[in-house]
Amino acid sequence: MIQLLFFLTAVPDPAGIAFFEQKIRPVLAEHCYECHSATAKKLRGNLYLDSKAGWEKGGDHGEPAILPGDPDHSLLIRTMRHAEPDLEMPPRKPRLPETVIADFVAWVRMGAPDPRTGAVIEAKRADKSWWSLQPLDREFAHESIDGFIEEKLAAQNLSLNPPAEPGALIRRMTYDLTGLPPSLAEVEAFRAACRTDRAAAVKALVDRLLASPRYGERWGRHWLDVVRFGESNGFERNFIIDDLWPFRDYVIRSFNEDKPFDQFIIEHLAGDVIGRDNPGVEVGSSFLVAGPYDDVGNQDVVAQKNIRAATLDDMITATSGAFLGLTINCARCHHHKFDPIPAEDYYRIRAAFEGVRHGRRVVASREERAAHAAATKPLQEKIAQVTAVRNALEGAIEARAKESLAKRVFPRPKVDPSGTEDRFAPVAARQVRFVVHGTSDGRGGGRLTEFEVWSGDRNVALAANGATAEGARGAVAEDFPEAYGPQFCIDGQPGEQWFIGSPAVLTITFAREETIERTVFRNAKGKDVQDKSQGATPCEYEVQVSADGKTWQTVVTGEDREPWSPAHGIQRVRGAVTSAQDLAKLADLDRQIAALQAQLSRVAPLPMVWAGNFAQPTELTHLHKGGDPMKPLEPVAPASLSVLDGALKSYTLDPQAPESERRLALARWIASGDNPLTARVLANRVWQYHFGTGIVDTPSDFGFLGGKPTHPELLDFLAQRLLANGWRLKALHREILLSRSYLQSADHREDGAKLDKDARLLWRFPPRRLSAEEIRDTLLTVAGKLSLEPMGGKGFRLYKVMQNNVSSYYPLDLHGPETHRRAVYHQNARASVVDVLNDFDLPDIAFASPKRANTTTPLQALTLLNHAFTGDMAAAFASRLEAADPIGSAYRLAFQREPADRERAAAERLISEHGLRAFCRALLNANELICLD
Amino acid sequence: MSSHPLEMARRDFLGRMGSGMTGVALSRLLAGELTAAAAGQPHFAPRAKQVLQIFCPGAASHVDLWDHKPQLEKYHGTPLPGGQTEVTFQGKNGNLMKSPWPFAPAGKSGKMISTMLPHMAGHVDDMAFIHSMTSRTNTHGPGCVNMNSCFTRDGFPSAGSWVSYGLGSLNENLPTYVAIQDLRGEPPNGKANWSNGFLPARFQGITMSAQQQLRNLSRPDSISEREDAATRDFLKLIDEEHARQHPGNDELRARMAAYELAARMQMTAPEVSDLSKEPGSTHHFYGTNDPNKLKAAYARNCLLARRLLEQGVRFVSLYCASRASAVDGLLNWDAHKTLKADYERHCPIFDQPTAALLTDLKQRGMLNDVLVIWCTEFGRMPTHQDGTSGRDHNPDAFTTWMMGGGVRGGVSHGATDDFGRRAAVDIATVYDFHATVLHLLGLNHEKLTYYHNGANRRLTDVHGHVLQSILA
Repeated sequence: MIQLLFFLTAVPDPAGIAFFEQKIRPVLAEHCYECHSATAKKLRGNLYLDSKAGWEKGGDHGEPAILPGDPDHSLLIRTMRHAEPDLEMPPRKPRLPETVIADFVAWVRMGAPDPRTGAVIEAKRADKSWWSLQPLDREFAHESIDGFIEEKLAAQNLSLNPPAEPGALIRRMTYDLTGLPPSLAEVEAFRAACRTDRAAAVKALVDRLLASPRYGERWGRHWLDVVRFGESNGFERNFIIDDLWPFRDYVIRSFNEDKPFDQFIIEHLAGDVIGRDNPGVEVGSSFLVAGPYDDVGNQDVVAQKNIRAATLDDMITATSGAFLGLTINCARCHHHKFDPIPAEDYYRIRAAFEGVRHGRRVVASREERAAHAAATKPLQEKIAQVTAVRNALEGAIEARAKESLAKRVFPRPKVDPSGTEDRFAPVAARQVRFVVHGTSDGRGGGRLTEFEVWSGDRNVALAANGATAEGARGAVAEDFPEAYGPQFCIDGQPGEQWFIGSPAVLTITFAREETIERTVFRNAKGKDVQDKSQGATPCEYEVQVSADGKTWQTVVTGEDREPWSPAHGIQRVRGAVTSAQDLAKLADLDRQIAALQAQLSRVAPLPMVWAGNFAQPTELTHLHKGGDPMKPLEPVAPASLSVLDGALKSYTLDPQAPESERRLALARWIASGDNPLTARVLANRVWQYHFGTGIVDTPSDFGFLGGKPTHPELLDFLAQRLLANGWRLKALHREILLSRSYLQSADHREDGAKLDKDARLLWRFPPRRLSAEEIRDTLLTVAGKLSLEPMGGKGFRLYKVMQNNVSSYYPLDLHGPETHRRAVYHQNARASVVDVLNDFDLPDIAFASPKRANTTTPLQALTLLNHAFTGDMAAAFASRLEAADPIGSAYRLAFQREPADRERAAAERLISEHGLRAFCRALLNANELICLD
Repeated sequence: MSSHPLEMARRDFLGRMGSGMTGVALSRLLAGELTAAAAGQPHFAPRAKQVLQIFCPGAASHVDLWDHKPQLEKYHGTPLPGGQTEVTFQGKNGNLMKSPWPFAPAGKSGKMISTMLPHMAGHVDDMAFIHSMTSRTNTHGPGCVNMNSCFTRDGFPSAGSWVSYGLGSLNENLPTYVAIQDLRGEPPNGKANWSNGFLPARFQGITMSAQQQLRNLSRPDSISEREDAATRDFLKLIDEEHARQHPGNDELRARMAAYELAARMQMTAPEVSDLSKEPGSTHHFYGTNDPNKLKAAYARNCLLARRLLEQGVRFVSLYCASRASAVDGLLNWDAHKTLKADYERHCPIFDQPTAALLTDLKQRGMLNDVLVIWCTEFGRMPTHQDGTSGRDHNPDAFTTWMMGGGVRGGVSHGATDDFGRRAAVDIATVYDFHATVLHLLGLNHEKLTYYHNGANRRLTDVHGHVLQSILA
């Protein structure tokens, strides 16, 4: 039928062409081309009517605009007739004259003869017929992976390489599945086994590696890239997050357990919903809050809304990219420019996440909670009892103190933060001490902006007059030692402050002996600033002077000033109204409380995890005009994404549905076996990590701008296998690893390289450089220093964190033994750069990194040659070489092979002159160490 | 140029290494990851080849430095019309507050500039001010990143990375893009300011300063020069052998080339950062021996910047001040509470050394090739912050300027309203700013693209117009 139609329309009769030219083309040009042609300013509905190919292909509706011979079902005619609402063309205008419509009907009935041969127009964007949005194929031309690969190779007159040499194969496979090199013993055993039965040996190798706990560490690391896992919050403050590691352990555990991936996805989005009281499941929801977010505490309302929108945008982007391979984030401000994703879809997901907040919470089982309560509750009750007794006694004392206070007279006004003056009889002094006994907030510490000592009309304490100031600091900024120092008290500037440390004493030494009679201190900044940022002011104090720095004389105190607050007053007279007996009783009660507190602190706290907090949103989710949260349009209900309506069952929840239901519904929809994207995207990731490049080389973008699949049928085949295996990855790994495509050698061939340099068609196994983590782990392994324990837990750091309002991360020059763990356990903070790992393309985790970069830079050479880590590893490596044959044993440890004669001779020369360490340092820099066949 | 001591030292060294390869050939080997979109060629004839970016983080106040507002002086102490209820970054605001220092006319153009910048005043006839800048954020970290990458979140390439990607290197023996940190630490959001984002790592900004050499540049003390050379010779031998056995793998050759480039860098970088080569008069002129430690340190970085530009570093980012601290305005230009005291610390650090650097570039004729851009992340309020004598953040107006490399001197683009509260005339964005920078470098900001996660990304996102009025 199709062929017949093609025949009919391919050879139209001259009368039909004439009809088209007279009646049809002018109308199209006048009424349609403005929006539906290559010359349109803005193409609408993705439909071209200026070529035959254009209407044959159709637009966003996913059907041809004209069905030759069938006017009643042709979309073009339906729209011209204004037969259906919202499908009226030309838009916002009355129908074209009936005679014109009749002409079009007649034209379509005669087979829509159209001489406009214009080349098939390359679509400028995808519509709903886009390949990745279609249901998975179910029937295949081949029964195994190799069939698909060989078909494409044959089409290019290419073929697979012969099987890889066993030594190369075990190295390739061991790195692939565990991220570590094989041991020499493993290589030798495998070679031997291959000699007896290669197929059985390979199968056994795959089984052994998939069962190794190292597998989860390697493949879990891949997944952490995909979900933009980073252990600091990014943005300006970039605070380190110390309780997100349970999520990393959960990912590694899940891979090792071969957890079905649909389950894994649901746990990511709604682990807290389906895993209440099951910490191992609940922790999955950390995924939602593992991305960067701004916590700067902006007071500006518009900025707050923008920040919240950006925070949710991170979750939306991460979710759609990781699971669906869709760039839904591009539909935040407008409909997606390249994919058929309306802006509504973006806000549908936003509605699902509207109740998610970054933060930590207790993640514990019912039993753990009960045990914790049983251990703490009696102690807390006891503490409350003793505290009540203490409070009663303290209350009685305070009552007496108040009485006493009422009788006291304080002749001088209270301390004034913007300037407190004390006068005293003129005295000769070389030094002045300002001793602080109490501060306005009653907590000690406090800050001081200026301290002046006057001799007549001269402030002799000024640095400008030769004075110096000393005093302990209550705060430090490691990268700027001057900060918060006592010198700010004598700089004559009202801005910077001394953060008072312990002991709380400011000592000022004059240039020479001075006769002084007055001091002034202030902690206000500027002239009269009094806000939170000026800190607590000293209010109980004394001023001492000394001529020799040894004997000190108090010249004035603040005791006769009105107390800062009633509480401060009570403190002053308290001593006088407290009996020795009361004091002893108080001390005893305090001891009891302290003992109980100590017991309480010994009870292990319930585990807190950075797994997010959830609250029912108070407002509906709205579409935002241009992505601007200040311009809300109509409300959007939590619902499935319309972009996939054709492929699987949709859902729409009540706009006020409980937030947990929203996430669960979205999770189930994503993890459905009917969702063609989820299985395809996952199968492609698995393929990518085995072969270096995916069948689609943009693993988190299966849209129009993404790569097209090199082997679309194979991709669907793999996706179907994944589903058939109950979403378990290990079975899929096995199938891939046992294919001839995987087992072939990486040898170079001119014919293949000419046609397909990157071996996307797999005429050879594509060689690769090791990843950042593999390189560091390899150096540690070769040096005999890699520590596989602890497997999990809190990560180690290759940087020093400096926290001073914001966090700064400085790479360490020395990597101690505590860093000799697998690199997956490095606590990767955002915007930190560390040696080796970042040099070799460990990405910053501002975004997901579904595909690692692979760069070659001189900085890599500088690091591997000169950083102390290489020096340490070279020394350790040298120390484990066999004395009888150091060169041979080094080659066996590093490359699992014997050295060639030429290499041995050169090595001997190097060692004889510069020793083993130089030789080991060279091997650790060798290409062979970090390049895989 | 060929008689330059650096050049000779390098040739000696390479002669010893026995390499016949030129820097260009080496760099081609490393360029495997480059796409055709950026072949290291400008799109059209450039006006400038290099960029010197001077960045004053902390939101340096436009109304106290560059943007003279007579009305602000006149209405000092009265409420900002319509502004009484404004809540900005840190909260409420008080009345209008004039700058603590008078402005004075400078140069032939008579441009009004703060008297706190007496040395900079000498350059106004060469500067093109953009007074109508606006930012999309009122927060320092995202603001700095925005000023550098046109996006408020981390993860996007900075302008220096885009330029390196678009134009490539002029001297492979040094990094293409250098970020010089202030003695006081990293700017807000730290390394994200010179990040390559999703561009390949070779386009990242490399940090070095007068007080800190390029990381891992020096061989460990425990290894002698002879041992180091012998080790590299052996490495080269085994890598050669390995590459020979693996034909058709360009990456192996590229990695070997990277080791050679590293060796050249080890020769060149210490030479460039050795400021003792400069005469005493130059040191004095920049202020490198000033008793003010912070000023002296910044002056040394200014001098380093000139030496790097001379050696062909494509993009130099020079920071004057750093991050937020527990006290606003201590480490950078963030004068929330005590503007006068804060800027009396910051201005003298900035003024003389920066002006000396500009004079030096001009006298050496380097401004023909070097485009100088001065940046900060946003402006400050014309009012004082409630209960303080400082100013809160103002993303609605700030000033930047450019000079050299194809920029018209002595002009101003755009203007703020009477008080400097908002940009009002010819409003400019960070996109416009960088569209102009790229334009001067011969790059069309709409054509310099890189695919990442679903979009062909640009430095200027989907915005930006070249500011024609400041082009020479």
